[in-house]
Amino acid sequence: MFQNFRLSMAWLHTWFGLVLGFVLMAVFFFGALSVFDREIDRWAVPESRFDPQPMPSFDNLLRPIFEKMQPTKTDIEQFAPFAKGPMQERYDTVVTWGAYTTHRDPILNIFAGYEVPNAIEHDAALFTSRTIDPRDGKIFPDDSLKIGSRFFYPLHYSLNFHWMSLGYWIVGFASLIMLAALVSGVVMHRKFFRELFTFRPKKSTQRSTLDLHNLTGVVALPFHFFFAFTGLVIFAGIYFPISHTQLEKLHDQHELHEAAETGLPHDRAGVAAPIASVDAMVAEAKRRWAERGMGGDVGFLALRHVGDANGYVSVYRAGTDRIALTGEGIHFKASTGEVLREDPPSTAVESVNEFLTGLHLQHFRHWMLRWLYVLGGLAGCVCIATGFIFFVEKRKRQYVKQGSQNARVVDALAVTTVTGMLIAAVGMLIGNRLLPVTVPEGWPPRGDIEIYIFWATWVVAMAHAFLRSGPVAQARLNPAWIDQCLALAVLAPAAVLLNWITTGDHLVKTISEGYWPVAGMDLSLLVTAGLSFVAARHLRRKTQTESVAATNDIEDAEVQHG
Amino acid sequence: MDNLLLTAAAVLCVSGMAWLALAMDVHWKQVNKNPQSAQTVKVLRMLGYAALFVSLVCCLAVDHATMASLVWIMLLAGSALSVALTLSWRPRLLRLFALPFASA
Amino acid sequence: MATASPTISTRHIIGRIGAGILGGYAFVWGTIALLHAALYALGMPFHDAEHLSSIIGFLLYLTVFLWAFAAQNLTRVWLIFIVSGVVMAASASLIQHLLV
Repeated sequence: MFQNFRLSMAWLHTWFGLVLGFVLMAVFFFGALSVFDREIDRWAVPESRFDPQPMPSFDNLLRPIFEKMQPTKTDIEQFAPFAKGPMQERYDTVVTWGAYTTHRDPILNIFAGYEVPNAIEHDAALFTSRTIDPRDGKIFPDDSLKIGSRFFYPLHYSLNFHWMSLGYWIVGFASLIMLAALVSGVVMHRKFFRELFTFRPKKSTQRSTLDLHNLTGVVALPFHFFFAFTGLVIFAGIYFPISHTQLEKLHDQHELHEAAETGLPHDRAGVAAPIASVDAMVAEAKRRWAERGMGGDVGFLALRHVGDANGYVSVYRAGTDRIALTGEGIHFKASTGEVLREDPPSTAVESVNEFLTGLHLQHFRHWMLRWLYVLGGLAGCVCIATGFIFFVEKRKRQYVKQGSQNARVVDALAVTTVTGMLIAAVGMLIGNRLLPVTVPEGWPPRGDIEIYIFWATWVVAMAHAFLRSGPVAQARLNPAWIDQCLALAVLAPAAVLLNWITTGDHLVKTISEGYWPVAGMDLSLLVTAGLSFVAARHLRRKTQTESVAATNDIEDAEVQHG
Repeated sequence: MDNLLLTAAAVLCVSGMAWLALAMDVHWKQVNKNPQSAQTVKVLRMLGYAALFVSLVCCLAVDHATMASLVWIMLLAGSALSVALTLSWRPRLLRLFALPFASA
Repeated sequence: MATASPTISTRHIIGRIGAGILGGYAFVWGTIALLHAALYALGMPFHDAEHLSSIIGFLLYLTVFLWAFAAQNLTRVWLIFIVSGVVMAASASLIQHLLV
């Protein structure tokens, strides 16, 4: 198709980068926010604004809650298509009980899986989950949406688009393209080392944008590559579900071997049995970890085949001190508390996989590294955004000559995925503070309303971007950029103000108390407002001198990729 | 102590990147009118790499090896970015890194 | 400048994109399946084989995706992807058949 390798890579980088760049903006931005997902949750769910807690006592606090738990109506409805015939109302055969916490969680997530006798896939279990206060066992209402961990975070890997799992596939493909864009970008960038520190903001928009694109792409190249790559590895089971399709027989055979090898029963015995003290098992697990020089807290507690003679309890360590997502799992016989198995040290391949997934999923405790991750993510956003801007700048005169509207479309989409996306996120936070704590009868659940607000705000931002894009067809700046920057400069502080008004947690209070989840959020919102205001002012100045700049630009117009 | 070491690692990384940037003619000229000698370039590069190396050692003193390497790589990215942005907007701030070589 | 030569048809571009995405997917599926089955047959623990194959698989997908656009002869690209993909997948199933 092309005369040489470099040209083919340039074509690929430009066109695939353009199309998938819009998806990647969302992935990188919400991925960056996800580093502090639990802190965003604290801001969105004020009742959860207390300090992180360790895993509470199973025997005294968790067990009574689990015993009373049943799947909700929504859980049952969602499972219905996967069962033959009508669904039961009560579920008494428990496949699993689980509790999960990290060093950043004040609240505890617990879940239970129940056997469904008429399930189409005989192994499929019906799951339900709850959020509880580990200090007293109070259950949080279903509809306080954890905007960080249950909306922004899943958005970055699935676009919250669950129909046919299409969201996962789109993000997966975008990730592959990210890798391709990085490699092709390096191939295209002739002065890789010479221009490592080069950014010339005073030159033409085209030159300075390309400089910034190269800078943010190159300095964080290992980061960008590793995150796209490890993201794919984490979801390998979705993208190449070979073990559950072509090699399913091999997989099932292995599962039986493994159950025999590990001594952890695959199925229920059908004989009822009590559950011994899980707290004693946890203590024993902690003792064994300490003995191995790996002292730590419990991150994940799981019971399997609950109430059955084959039941077992698995205790996993919270991985705060290393990158690798290890568990050092210790498994106990549920009815007696005897140790059935200590997970052996990881094999070489297991270690590599744990490192790769741990690098991405960040369970470690290291505040500087987390902030550096956010920096990397935002650098990725700048790289993509400057890519769009460069695309438009380079071609808009050409499109004007052809009388085409393409530059307008790309530019409007760029506004939508840069400032528009920020406005949608901030809008959701504002909605979160404005909605009453308990919504009136007949309204949709509070969390659902917040989600509508997010998408609606984004759509409005997009409409605005398109409606205002006329000047781009005359090779001038789209005023929507300035409008939306100004909007952000107003909305972000409004969110901070609303937090103060509705919860009393203003910045002076949160900083003096050292409650950083909320202080950090408020400060980040204020910084966003400041940067947006500076950007708006800079762009306005630019529009005013545009006619002068146009003459200079013609000289720099044919900037080669270098 | 950990925070001190990590701060030192960050400062060393930025310094290292600053020295490496100044070893390049185009950036040296942004900070200093006099042309640089070949000797200056060599020393700047050595200083730069040395600072980056010591930064890595500081990281390793704080965390488990795999975590330390990751922290260091991310510090490299952040430092390169800061130095580049400083060169774009306030290149004079990097004068202190060129000071010992100003007369060269 | 990153424009295709003027004689390139839309059909060819779709062919390239199809090769990169779909052809590449078939090729990588075959590779992962074969690697997984073969490593397991050679004694590697099941999940280790699974993880290692997918790690190699994604790096390979990146490589062949780029190759689909850089290669001179598009027909050759399609042939290699489809034939190798099918042969490797078939071999994986053969190994499974011998083991189960």
